[in-house]
Formats: sequence, C-alpha cells, structure tokens
Amino acid sequence: MDADRITEITRYVVAEFAPDVRPDELDPDFDLLDSGVVDSLGLLRLIAWLGERHDLPVDELDLDPAEFRSVRAIDAFVESALLKGATP
Amino acid sequence: MITWTDEQRALRAAAVDLGAAAGKDHLDRDAAAEFATEGWALIRESGLLGLPFPAEHGGLDADLLTTMYVLEGLGESCRDGGFAFSVSTHMVSTGIPLRRFGSAELKQRYLPGVCSGGAIGAHAISEPDAGSDMMAMRTTAEPDGDHWVLTGSKSFVSNGPIADTFVVYARTGKPGSPSAISTFLVDRDSPGLRVGTPIAKMGLRTSPLGELFLDGVRVPKANVIGSVGAGFLILDHVMKWEILLSFVINLGEMEHRLRRCLEYARTRKQFGQAIGSFQAVSTKLVDMRVGVETSRKWLYDTAEKLTARRNVTTDIAITKLVVSEANLASALAAVQVFGGYGYMTEYGIEKDVRNAVAGPIYSGTSEIQRQRVAAMMGL
Repeated sequence: MDADRITEITRYVVAEFAPDVRPDELDPDFDLLDSGVVDSLGLLRLIAWLGERHDLPVDELDLDPAEFRSVRAIDAFVESALLKGATP
Repeated sequence: MITWTDEQRALRAAAVDLGAAAGKDHLDRDAAAEFATEGWALIRESGLLGLPFPAEHGGLDADLLTTMYVLEGLGESCRDGGFAFSVSTHMVSTGIPLRRFGSAELKQRYLPGVCSGGAIGAHAISEPDAGSDMMAMRTTAEPDGDHWVLTGSKSFVSNGPIADTFVVYARTGKPGSPSAISTFLVDRDSPGLRVGTPIAKMGLRTSPLGELFLDGVRVPKANVIGSVGAGFLILDHVMKWEILLSFVINLGEMEHRLRRCLEYARTRKQFGQAIGSFQAVSTKLVDMRVGVETSRKWLYDTAEKLTARRNVTTDIAITKLVVSEANLASALAAVQVFGGYGYMTEYGIEKDVRNAVAGPIYSGTSEIQRQRVAAMMGL
C-alpha cells in the first residue's frame, strides 16, 4: 500500500466521478462499481488514466473489474502491475 | 508507412485468390440469403482462419498487423461481403477471447476448431432490451455446483444459425455494475440451448444471423473465459479486434469499389466525354479516395498503437466511426457514379450500400462511439 498513491487515486476518483464528495469523505474500501460511482465508460477512463499515469500497458494486462472496485483495490492493482515490471 | 515482407505479401495474395473464389455467385446467394458453404470449405483449406492464433493450436502465429493486411486483401477481392463478415466474426467472437483470456484447457479444446474452421464461432451479446446498453442485459448465469446455469435470450447473433460454439455474455452480478457480466463458452448441442431460424435483414444477407434462447443451460465452470465478472473488459478487448479485423475488410472493399468507379468514370461517356471529366463526378471519386486513405490511416495507426501496448480506447472508437461511415458514403457514391446501373441488382453496387448500412450499427453504433470519445474527454 502506498499512501501517496492512495491519496492521488482518491483525488482522481472524486474529481472525475464524485465531484460532490470531499476526498477525505471517500472510504478507500468503498465499492465504486456496485455503487454506480464508476460505470462502464468510467471504468475505461479510469483504466486509461492509470495506464498513462503509471506507464502501464493496460491493454496487455489481464484486467479484472474487481481490481478497480475500490481505491484500495486500485492501489493494489497498480502496485502489482509495477512489481511485475508491467508485463502481462 | 508499413513495409510488408514477402511472406506477408504471399499470405495476402492467397487471401485475394481465396476471396475471388469464395465470392463467386454472390448475387444469387445474396438474393437467396445463403451462406457460402463452398467458400467456407475453401477458407478452411487455406488455413487463414488461424491467422492470429498460436501455432500450437493450429494457427499461423501472425501478429495483428499481418492479420489485418491479409483480411484487407480478402475484402478487396471477395464480392460476398456477408461471407467476409462471417469470417471475421468467426475469428474474433470465440478465438480472440480464448487466445487472450482462456484457460490452457479451454485453448486446447476449442482453439483448434477456431483455426481449422471446423467449429464455427459466434458471440451472443445483444438482447431485445439491451443493445448499446449492454450492462442492462437480462440473461443471467447462476452458480450451481460445478456449473453455471444460463437463462435468457439473445438477439442479432451473427453466425448464430451456423455456429457450433457460442461465447455468451451473461449477468452474474449487480445490474449496471461494470463487474456484473461474465463470459461463457457454450456448445451448440448443450441441453436447453436453442438457435432461432435465420432472420431476414437489409444487407450482409449471406451472413446468417439469428436469436439464441437459453433455458437453464448448464455450463461447466471450466467454460468461463477469464474471471467471473470480467465480461465487460473481455468484450472491450474483443471489440478492439472486431473493429480492426471487420473494418479492415471494409477498407479492402472500398479500395475495390474506388477502382471500379474510376474505370467506369474513365470509360462511360455522356455528352461526348468521359463522365469522370465532369467535376461533379470527379469530386465524388476524390471523396471516395479520401475515405480510403483516412480509413487506412486510422486502422493501421490504431493497430500499431495497440501492438505497442498503448491504450486505444479513444482511437478505436474514432477508427470505427471513420471507417464505417466512410464505407457507407463510398457505397452510396458508387451507386450515384454508376447512375441507373448502380441501382440495378445485377451490377452488385446497390448490395454494397445495403451491406454498408450495417457498419455504423454493429460493434457499437456511431452514437455509442461518439459517447465513448466524449466520456474519454471527461464529458
């Protein structure tokens, strides 16, 4: 877990998908998908942002929506992808 | 600009020969809405159905760009647009999700049939009340021991009436959630699965399309492609390939159509001169050329970007918009250039219009592609 990255992801999610929520109000374990905060097109945007931000070959990774279910899950996904050397 | 090797050129030449042979009698088949079974036997023999798949499963191990280049040749020579559409549908519907997300066991069992063409593939996505809004799909999959039980119905299944294997997308989670859809490989002879009769349609009449009914179809858990809940992202991957492979065939068709119109505009005389000398006609041909070149650029640039492992969510939507609409505009322009002859069935020009109308509809409508681009711009 990377606290700075969690903060950054939280800020992005709030700015893009929940503008009425303050970053400190978003629980890092809150379910972004089933709650409807991030819909299908939003998921594609989120993945594209992560790919650009962390230079991840997102089209080559075996993506699973569960990896984007919450801020904490997204952070774990990024960490895992970086550790793998960004290889599928 | 891509420089093709001799090997790639040879593969394309084979596809060009094959397309010409498979397209024989296309007008009769279009009138009768008949699939080219002889053409299918020819393409099976050629091995081209296995282009993008691993050699260990009977494929040719070709990369994306090579596969596109070869299929562009098929589109250029094959006048049976429905047949070419069925070919690309077969390759992408079952083969592409298996290749990328399938377990070793599923690849071993199903990819040889995809590569040989012995098991025709189709995917079942749209439903009566869930077309563009796929997340609203009602077909459900419920776990039951070692199986999933699929219940629901699918509409507009291309290749459905002739398919042996279906990739079915069904809901396994909360409606509307991007993690609510899962992907299942279903055999045609599964108890409870019923394939509807072919549905008559405006164009692509030689590519059979029908409904699929699932009444408590038990599918082994081993037949889930990818992880449970990954269906939306699997389909997103499949759509990238579907758009690139299906619409590069359209590019080949546009190239052929342009050549045919140029030849006609140079030889058809009215008012004592070739009609191509009239600016009203020549500008149509220029627009057709612009459509060809713009489509080529978007298709191959996007494929190169995808091959370079970059995100192409916006690019693929623009590519689909550009090529499908250019193909339709080109087909309409060709009818106008040929005038009364273009309107007659025997010239095969009007058929291209009917076929091309499908382009801005299938694989995500033009409206949805624009919505995707808007979403990627943060709108």
